[in-house]
Amino acid sequence: MAYPSQLGLQDATSPIMEELMNFHDHTLMIVFLISSLVLYIITLMLTTKLTHTSTMDAQEVETIWTILPAVILILIALPSLRILYMMDEINNPIITVKTMGHQWYWSYEYTDYEDLCFDSYMIPTNDLKPGDLRLLEVDNRMVLPMELPIRMLISSEDVLHSWAVPSLGLKTDAIPGRLNQATISSNRPGLFYGQCSEICGSNHSFMPIVLEMVPMKCFETWSVSMI
Amino acid sequence: MLPRAAWSLLMRTGGLGTRGTHSPGGTAGSQRKRISPYVDCYAQRSYPMPDEPFCTELTEEQRALKEKEKGSWAQLSQAEKVALYRLQFHETFAEMNHRSNQWKTVMGCVFFFIGFTALVIWWQRVYVFPEKVVTLTDERKAQQLQRLLDMKSNPIQGLAAHWDYEKKEWKK
Repeated sequence: MAYPSQLGLQDATSPIMEELMNFHDHTLMIVFLISSLVLYIITLMLTTKLTHTSTMDAQEVETIWTILPAVILILIALPSLRILYMMDEINNPIITVKTMGHQWYWSYEYTDYEDLCFDSYMIPTNDLKPGDLRLLEVDNRMVLPMELPIRMLISSEDVLHSWAVPSLGLKTDAIPGRLNQATISSNRPGLFYGQCSEICGSNHSFMPIVLEMVPMKCFETWSVSMI
Repeated sequence: MLPRAAWSLLMRTGGLGTRGTHSPGGTAGSQRKRISPYVDCYAQRSYPMPDEPFCTELTEEQRALKEKEKGSWAQLSQAEKVALYRLQFHETFAEMNHRSNQWKTVMGCVFFFIGFTALVIWWQRVYVFPEKVVTLTDERKAQQLQRLLDMKSNPIQGLAAHWDYEKKEWKK
């Protein structure tokens, strides 16, 4: 999850998130270059004593500053589209988990083998144990096996929500009447936090998501205990 | 002429640029390259040689001085040269380029409003904001940090990456 004085993105827990971090570095570098160039030119404009009152046209520089932004946009678009298509690649998930957004909690359904369904409510601040994170802990975490691709089907029972886990690079809208698919694949075990990312009413900020990625044995023990 | 002079004094930025002011003599038949006529009658740093002199109605003395100017300039005294300059031009370069004290007023207002904002924020802290949440006490924050380190959150470049698990201290 996010930690104090964090400046950048959370560490990547899935390969897609690693790709997204690299893309973010690339795009941010372009943004910094453009911004510093513009800032430099503005300071030059404001601190010169020279004047030129009879400019009519400037065909050469106009051509450059039309073609160059188009080239820069292509340089941004190509990696972006590459990652977009990479997200939808076939990856043979081992299980499918469904999550439904409600006002104001998430419910999870593991129905491939048995019928395991449960709700996941945020723990109120007054009920937190020492060390728990305010507005992020839930009573029933979503437990999943690590290092394996898992299909998520995300939908909603009432209004729009969005199921997001930043360290896995996931954010998928939960739309009533529609099934959206995402793929989870975690590189390491641990707890990964996220929050609802589409305004859904008064408690929109109070319906978090917690993923607990564990070895397969632990996952099997847990799912047996939950049924 | 006179209204423009008063307006220019108010603006203090070299006067109103009046577009479409044609210099006397017209544009037809003029072969040499003209500086744009988008200035008023006073000289500016970017347009140092206006078409018309500053004073067009001369007294008797001034007319005599203009006659003397037609002769050798070595015979003009310093005062006469200055008087001729003042006839021709509205201001010297030093006068037209001089800095103002406007920045002091601006900075003063900026600091005043920053101070006023600080007072407003202080008042808010005392009279408006509710009690802080229990999780913001130092003890609870330390426990949360310990839990984050125990669960190895962000172990690659983030929080847990800076903690030395062997020595139980932050990495140097």
